[in-house]
Amino acid sequence: MISQREPNAGFAIYGRRLAFGGNCCCVAIMVLVHDKPVLAVTAVGKSYGERAVLAGVSFSIAAGERIALTGPSGSGKTTLLNCLGGVDRPDAGEIALLGERIDQLSSDGLARLRRERVGTVFQFFHLLPTLTAAENIELPLQLTGVPPVERAERVAAALGRVGLTARGAALPSQLSGGEQQRVAIARALVHRPALILADEPTGNLDSANGENILRLLRELTDETRTALVLVTHSEEAAAICHRNIHLRDGRIVG
Amino acid sequence: MAAIQSLLLRRFALRHARIAPRQSLLLVGILALGVAVFVAVRLANRAAVASFTHFTDTLTGQSDWIVQPAAGTLPESVLPELRAALGARPVQIFPVVESTGSRPPKSDTAAKFGRTTYTLLGVDLIAVANLAQQQAAGRSYFTSTRSADPRGRGTDAPDDFWGALRAGPRVWISAALAAEIGDLRSLDLVINEQVRALPIAGTIPSSADAPRVPASLIVLDLPQLQALAGKVGRLDRVEFIVEPGPRADERRAELRALLTHLGRDGERWTVTSPGERRETAATMTQAFRLNLTVLSLIALLVGLYLIFEALDGAVVRRRGEIAILRALGVEERAVRRAWLIEAAVLGLAGGALGVLLGWAGAQLSVRAVGQTVNALYYATTVESAGLDPGEIAIGVLLGLIASLAAGWWPAREAARTPPAQVLVRHATAAAGHGVLRRAGLATILVVAGALAAQLPPLRLSAGVRFPLAGYLAAFLWIFGGGILCGFLLPILARLARPVREHSAAARIALSHLAAPSGRHRLAVAALLCAIGMTAGMAILVASFDATVRNWVQRALQADLYISSNGAQSASSQNRISPETWRALAAEPAAIASSVLSAYPIELDGLPTLITGSDLSVVLARAALPWVQAPTDDAIFDPARNGALVLASESFGERFHVRRGDRVRVPTPAGWQTLTVAGVFADYGNERGSLLVERRQLATWFADDYAANISLFLRPGADAEAIRARLLTRHPGLAIYTNATLRTEILRIFRQTFSITYALEVIGVAVAVIGLALSLVSVLLDRRDELTTLRALGFDRREIAWATAFEGAVVAACAVTGGLVLSLALGWLLIHVINKQSFGWTLGFTVPWVQLAALAFTVVVTGGTVSYLVGRWGADLPADREE
Repeated sequence: MISQREPNAGFAIYGRRLAFGGNCCCVAIMVLVHDKPVLAVTAVGKSYGERAVLAGVSFSIAAGERIALTGPSGSGKTTLLNCLGGVDRPDAGEIALLGERIDQLSSDGLARLRRERVGTVFQFFHLLPTLTAAENIELPLQLTGVPPVERAERVAAALGRVGLTARGAALPSQLSGGEQQRVAIARALVHRPALILADEPTGNLDSANGENILRLLRELTDETRTALVLVTHSEEAAAICHRNIHLRDGRIVG
Repeated sequence: MAAIQSLLLRRFALRHARIAPRQSLLLVGILALGVAVFVAVRLANRAAVASFTHFTDTLTGQSDWIVQPAAGTLPESVLPELRAALGARPVQIFPVVESTGSRPPKSDTAAKFGRTTYTLLGVDLIAVANLAQQQAAGRSYFTSTRSADPRGRGTDAPDDFWGALRAGPRVWISAALAAEIGDLRSLDLVINEQVRALPIAGTIPSSADAPRVPASLIVLDLPQLQALAGKVGRLDRVEFIVEPGPRADERRAELRALLTHLGRDGERWTVTSPGERRETAATMTQAFRLNLTVLSLIALLVGLYLIFEALDGAVVRRRGEIAILRALGVEERAVRRAWLIEAAVLGLAGGALGVLLGWAGAQLSVRAVGQTVNALYYATTVESAGLDPGEIAIGVLLGLIASLAAGWWPAREAARTPPAQVLVRHATAAAGHGVLRRAGLATILVVAGALAAQLPPLRLSAGVRFPLAGYLAAFLWIFGGGILCGFLLPILARLARPVREHSAAARIALSHLAAPSGRHRLAVAALLCAIGMTAGMAILVASFDATVRNWVQRALQADLYISSNGAQSASSQNRISPETWRALAAEPAAIASSVLSAYPIELDGLPTLITGSDLSVVLARAALPWVQAPTDDAIFDPARNGALVLASESFGERFHVRRGDRVRVPTPAGWQTLTVAGVFADYGNERGSLLVERRQLATWFADDYAANISLFLRPGADAEAIRARLLTRHPGLAIYTNATLRTEILRIFRQTFSITYALEVIGVAVAVIGLALSLVSVLLDRRDELTTLRALGFDRREIAWATAFEGAVVAACAVTGGLVLSLALGWLLIHVINKQSFGWTLGFTVPWVQLAALAFTVVVTGGTVSYLVGRWGADLPADREE
């Protein structure tokens, strides 16, 4: 069920600093890359014991492309998302992120991949409860070795972009659900990943907040040309995506 | 209700134990360790006390009454007097002489102390043999002497008992000693200052109705030992056995009344039973044993924290399950009971295992306890510690009570879990451990401890003082300090803030410590308890060490110290004969000598010591460390000191005596009333001692034997050469140079603290395990967070470092608080507990290097263990559902 399309042929443009730039946010650093998919999934399979959770799943995503992953409970959506994020490993097939086979990486290699190239947004936000909003956003930058001064600038920019400039010092427990998810989105994008994995990002929000979050995700991925894989049951959420991949019993059925 | 209970236990508790057996085993292990330490010390203590054998009992079964002078010995002339007074009463009389001996050291360089002291018992063997025949006990000295040697080798002694008696000194030894020495022809023994080769006549016959023959018992015929020990015509005691028959109890009571009357109500002698003597021995060591027992509870106390921690952690982890059960209609009561039963099962298993481990530990510690008792109190023959049903019950019960006490709060928390709250997915866990956040309560505990420290000791029977309030103060400070130290965590986290900028792992760790959870606080409290007590004991030992060193420095001024080679424990009676010590004093290289005599006496029913020395020499050549110095020097003038006495500090504490007070002292020449001219510090024994002019003492005791003699040599004299020369002339003497004796004294002193160190190390080890367990619970609680960290790109090493950092800061916090606590506990141990128990004044010395090493070790170990826990936590599977 493919909803909306945007041509991705030719060159993908990476303009990360446009959204979360530091002291020179007005200057976009344009990187031109060959039209290679950000993510290429080929014949991926995964079983738990006798039960096949994924079977022969293949698709690819280009830069700036948004894909909705839909399907009933138990269809393998989260397992696929875990494999894409390097949290789980497929039993069969290949997954390549920016040309690198992530199914062959070591545990540490996967950790490096997650910190540098992937951003994750969870249904239950999963902000670290003992860190403030700003510190939560800062964490991926610290992990990738960004110097403190630049970190502060990028965190401030990210907070501003998700509309939470005044809430940077608040702990997650002091934020509303919608605010927490905004922080989570900012955290997922602040280190300029190539791919965002979002697992039911609106599943725990009311409809107004849900719409805001979806709009934010669309705008930000457009601005940064970041690929997005969105696991969702919601038609509204799927509607912001260029394509919809429907899973049933571990297979793509549409 | 019973069906639900059974269901809860079978379907939940048991299954959890099966799913995570290692955790259950760890808990049982920790509990077992705590119980084991307590049981080991208790069994070792018991064995040391039980080994106080009334040696005559092994020969006669059990005497009914013992007549013994309050000081010195009885003349043999009391025997006809007693026989005449008893008339036709069916009573057997056994005169006894007791002495000690030891086997000569194999080489001059061998350790002089710590060798076995043998008790030489001189009895009328014919009377003993007759008694055995009457009792049909199957005990006989008339068997062939060759029976001593299972391999058929014999002695050159005559083959019959009568022949052995006529042939001069012969000894009967225990079967254990016979097996040990191999050569059964003769036994070399140092008795007084003489080395004697005594032919072995046979083994001491044993009997089922008498106590086991101690390995260190050696029996001689009465006159033979009198001659060997320099006690010709003297008796140490006379024992009485009332022959069995009708009205035996009545006759026993009548006999006691008669003997008491003849002894002029204690003026000539006292009348006691073997049971009373055993009790006196037990009370002598009561303070020592009580102190050791309290120390042995440290590991259990720290273990309690851990059991609490583990059960509470289990409540948190299984909260969802409990909520479901509650939602299905299971009552609070049933949930609570199920948790308590689970705790009880852990307690029983830990208690049972602890008893076994404790029994094994007792076999190791019993020798150390025995050595201390031997050095300070009386001869023990303890070699192993037995286990009886009573001790098993106490150990298991202790495990059960400890586990139930620790499990009570978690059980209550489990039962009170509101189902609605926890059925909400990802509900925030309750903070828990509310008591650990009450600074007010902690302050009250600390203040109450300070007040308790001012209270006097509890006075037990026989003059034993137990510093109950002192220990209470320690416990209040430990608990109060544990709570207060939790408040240090956010402060340390704030201080460490700059590190956050450089490390994501440190940022995560510090963010958790800025608002520490109950688990963090509990881990800090447990570690603080162990570190505080360990460092407190280290301060006590260092203070003792420095004080004793200083005392030795001042008190030991002579160049050579000479005693019998057999004199090496508190019970030793080996002395130097007047001829020998006079010959030693006449040594041409000596410019002065000081002779010390010592006699055990009983004052107010308590054993103590009266010593005599040449006080003018003491004044001129040694600096007595005064607690209350004499107001004039009359005590040092033989012409004026006839009615004066110096008291040791322990004596003063024990008998409430200060300078200027009068004491009545028993001597064979009658009771003497003496005025205390001064009180001096003495760390030699805790029974206390009196010091008078030696010539005066020799007159009172009609005896001129010396316990030891010290020689002051001319400047430039070669002490080693003189020592070697004197040893050649007197092989039965032990001669120490000043430096050797100082070293030996400090070695013995440190040896007495060896058990204490072992107990402390166990306490700290348990606390570090506790820190690891706490972090395991913390990580299990934070499983969601770990998943998030992994999703953010933290690798296993970084997660492990975050945990290590967290553990190290918790350890550093506990170390900081623990060291402060240790200063308070050190003060309490030195100025309250030690002073009230033993009456010794000690200076306050802090072993900074040792404490720094302890702090470093705990922080590094804590960090390392936490790193390993972090590595484990990094692999925890995600707790999220699709």
